[in-house]
Amino acid sequence: MTYTDVLLQQVINGVSLGAMYSLLALGFTMVYGIIELINFAHFNVFMVGAFFSMWILELTGLGGQRVILTGFPLVGVLVLALVCVMLFCGVLGVVIERTVLRPLRNVPGTAAMITTIGVSYILFNIILLSQGAAAMNFPNPMPKVQWNITAGTVLKLREVLLWGISLLLMLGLHFFVRRTRLGKAMQATAQDQEAARMMGIEVDTVVMTTFFLGSALAGAAGLIFGLYYNFASYVIGYTAGLRAFTAAVLGGIGSIPGAMLGGVIIGLIESLGGQLIATRWTDVIIFSILVIVLVLRPTGLFGRMMIRKS
Amino acid sequence: MTESAGAKARAGSAIGAQLRRIPAERQRGAILIVVSLLLLAFPLIDRNGGDIDAAANACAFATLALGLNIVVGYAGLLDLGYAAFFAIGAYTYGALSSWQIQPLWSEFWEPFAWLGLVARIHAEGVPDVVHMTVSFWLGMPICGLVAAIFGVLFGAPTLRLRGDYLAIVTLGFGEIVPIVARNWPYMTNGAIGLNGVQPPRLLGYSFGVDSEPFYYLGLLMIAALIMISLRLQNSRIGRAWMAIREDEIAASAMGINRVSLKLLAFAVGAGFGGMTGAFYVSKLQTATPDMFMFPVSVMILVMIVLGGMGSVYGVVLAAIILQLLQSWFLQDLTGWIHKLGHWVDSAWLQRVDLVQSIELIFGIILVTMMLFRRQGLIPATRPTPALTLEQQTAHVGRGGFAAPIRGIEPKTAEPQRAMIEIRKLTRRYGGIVAVKDLDIVVESNSIVALIGPNGSGKSTTFNLITGMDEPSAGQVLLLGEDITGLPAHLVTARGVARTFQNLRLFSNMTVRENILVAMHSRTTTGPLAAVLRTPRSRAEERDAEERAIEIIGAFGNRLLPRANQMVKELSYANRRRVEIARALASRPKVLLLDEPTAGMNPAETLELSDQIRSLRTMGLTVFLIEHKLNVVNDIADKIIVLDHGEKIAEGTAAQVHSNPQVLEAYLGRKAAHA
Repeated sequence: MTYTDVLLQQVINGVSLGAMYSLLALGFTMVYGIIELINFAHFNVFMVGAFFSMWILELTGLGGQRVILTGFPLVGVLVLALVCVMLFCGVLGVVIERTVLRPLRNVPGTAAMITTIGVSYILFNIILLSQGAAAMNFPNPMPKVQWNITAGTVLKLREVLLWGISLLLMLGLHFFVRRTRLGKAMQATAQDQEAARMMGIEVDTVVMTTFFLGSALAGAAGLIFGLYYNFASYVIGYTAGLRAFTAAVLGGIGSIPGAMLGGVIIGLIESLGGQLIATRWTDVIIFSILVIVLVLRPTGLFGRMMIRKS
Repeated sequence: MTESAGAKARAGSAIGAQLRRIPAERQRGAILIVVSLLLLAFPLIDRNGGDIDAAANACAFATLALGLNIVVGYAGLLDLGYAAFFAIGAYTYGALSSWQIQPLWSEFWEPFAWLGLVARIHAEGVPDVVHMTVSFWLGMPICGLVAAIFGVLFGAPTLRLRGDYLAIVTLGFGEIVPIVARNWPYMTNGAIGLNGVQPPRLLGYSFGVDSEPFYYLGLLMIAALIMISLRLQNSRIGRAWMAIREDEIAASAMGINRVSLKLLAFAVGAGFGGMTGAFYVSKLQTATPDMFMFPVSVMILVMIVLGGMGSVYGVVLAAIILQLLQSWFLQDLTGWIHKLGHWVDSAWLQRVDLVQSIELIFGIILVTMMLFRRQGLIPATRPTPALTLEQQTAHVGRGGFAAPIRGIEPKTAEPQRAMIEIRKLTRRYGGIVAVKDLDIVVESNSIVALIGPNGSGKSTTFNLITGMDEPSAGQVLLLGEDITGLPAHLVTARGVARTFQNLRLFSNMTVRENILVAMHSRTTTGPLAAVLRTPRSRAEERDAEERAIEIIGAFGNRLLPRANQMVKELSYANRRRVEIARALASRPKVLLLDEPTAGMNPAETLELSDQIRSLRTMGLTVFLIEHKLNVVNDIADKIIVLDHGEKIAEGTAAQVHSNPQVLEAYLGRKAAHA
């Protein structure tokens, strides 16, 4: 196994992580694009998503013993878990928006942001108190199929499937935003909420849709996290959320393609940085990137110009 | 604190009635004295060591909350990693005064040993090492200073951006500081924790592990921080912070340097955190990275949200409530539930541990307070009493301001010169040209009106002059001096004041405070002078107050009875008047008014026109944007017409009105030629 192989292997790992961060970053970027709010609840909607998909997989009989599925049953179980977790988290996001964020939408200052921190903390502690602090085994039905790319580099079926899921979801989102009526309404609202309202767009519906989509993608990211790392724990939302947010800022907050690209870059930085420097400094590296981007290019890679409303 | 007042009131209706007659100020003073006495006597009443220890810890968290209150409550900057500064203070003290760092002895340490900051430790068989023994009383301010420096370092890059980014950056900062602490064993001893941190010594007596002296030291710190907070709040600095919290753009138009004041708030808050870190670590005599994780930052934030952002006493009260909840109430409640579980023979009830759920309660507090009581338990601002009918009646006054307003340079006999001169000013937004090759001269001591259809670039021109926006090309001169591209607060300091078309007042501040904020660039009191209340700062404050009342008084019954009302409670027309009064308070040479009479009825419009004219008589130059042509015709010495960002006409009212291009712009081609 040569050094190049090691790096190549880390690139493969990085893209897998990046796929997850991209999905998570999309939720941040979409909500910020529409209502200019950093949604801290998103961190732990993702974490709840990981637990929920674990329960779904356990319900299909995958708990306890290690069961390996192939072919149609594997695809079926994955699709089932994906649909369920996306629906559940999507609804969770909408409930959060409807119950606690909508009343605060026009309150100036930090009130809405503090509320999302509160919600995040509530979710965090509900899982901690009900599930305990120990990490839980996440069912892994994937067969151990893998291909050798070079002598020392393997590409696992698991990774290919995760890439596939992420890519499909992102293409779906892209299609939704570009082609559908509601998606276009979202774009218009992100540009100018007041003007969109005057054009007859129901901003409330748009905000709700945004929360649904963003949270559903966070749920999918939760499933991917579980399948990739084979565990679920109450703490996972914090680090993954911070990295995904960095990805959103790096890509340009408010920009959907930016979040996708930013996620992959952050994933690569995490895996290669861990390899080249030390994993215990990963968070410090990623945080430095966040600060550097904010200082040098706050609009990120794809960010639209931020015009101050006066 | 209001609770104890309530308890007294219940004791007897007669006493209650008498109590109500005592003025609020005195009542508050009395409550404060009673509470302080109770707090001082607490260790004598409650001899339980655990309770005193919990109380000493509560003191530490109350001081942390007071520090964060400056950042979040006063300046409105959401800091989610405040525990990081707590950690920096703690580890700095660990480095200064513990067995953690033991360099080899050398000549270099000689002077420090002589000063008593280090000691030479000799042991058989190994070289001599240095033992850091910096006194707590010296170490604590150093810790505060170090934390403040870190606050500036991390605040500086992000404070220029929107406030929300600060939240996420501080969250990240709060996460990496414990990581660094864990991975830097030389300084911190990693996850095992610092060892042998020295307790404070006072007059040869060591605090040791006894909680009682720490409790009293903690009380002293709280008292000091309360005093500092209150003095800052009612000073030039505190008002500037609150103005930034309310409206950053308007704050910079009032001459406030946003970045440096935000940094100051961040540094002061961080400094408080660092000092508390020294206190806490000397009490525990160890420090581990786990003590400074995210939940600590959240807990301090919860204290502020619960007590009321910006409310000094509220924050302290909330810190005490949360500490009581954590160390007494939840434990007792858990005990009762276990007993109940024993009786009903339920294993589940016997396992319930409510102390564990404290963080869940924190989350619920955050959400419910934001939804239902954003002002907190003790609101920082009190509602003002309603005005009497007499105070509310206002008669339309004619003839303008009766008395001259101090601070305006009187008219001189000198010939008029160009107060503002704009040369070839251009502003492009992408492909759109908002202002194009504009040349304007505003002569001193005159009234110049800028008119034109909507979107013709009038407000953009104002923004370019006042530094709210940077021109793509061209120059702005003030009395011949180039002020192009100068930041807004410096433009204001040079003597250009403005009002905004869409009103940008500090709505959660009183009329008086709004006016005082505008004097920022004409006053000099710094944070230290404000805290120490130096004679100079007191004189300056008195003078500012006098001037504020004078300016408010110039608007007579419209504003004077409302001086202590929140601006958000005022009528639209009165808010316009406050904007003008506020602009006047900055002692301008030239006043830029953006649609001053919008939303006023005809009588009020006439009143204001007269007032504007009397400002010119006093010696001021006025440059205004106005849609009401009768006002413009009435008061303007010169009218400039803009259309599509270009000047299409200039001259007296009569000249402009007969200009065919103007008619075309206003009425359309057909009507103009009809």
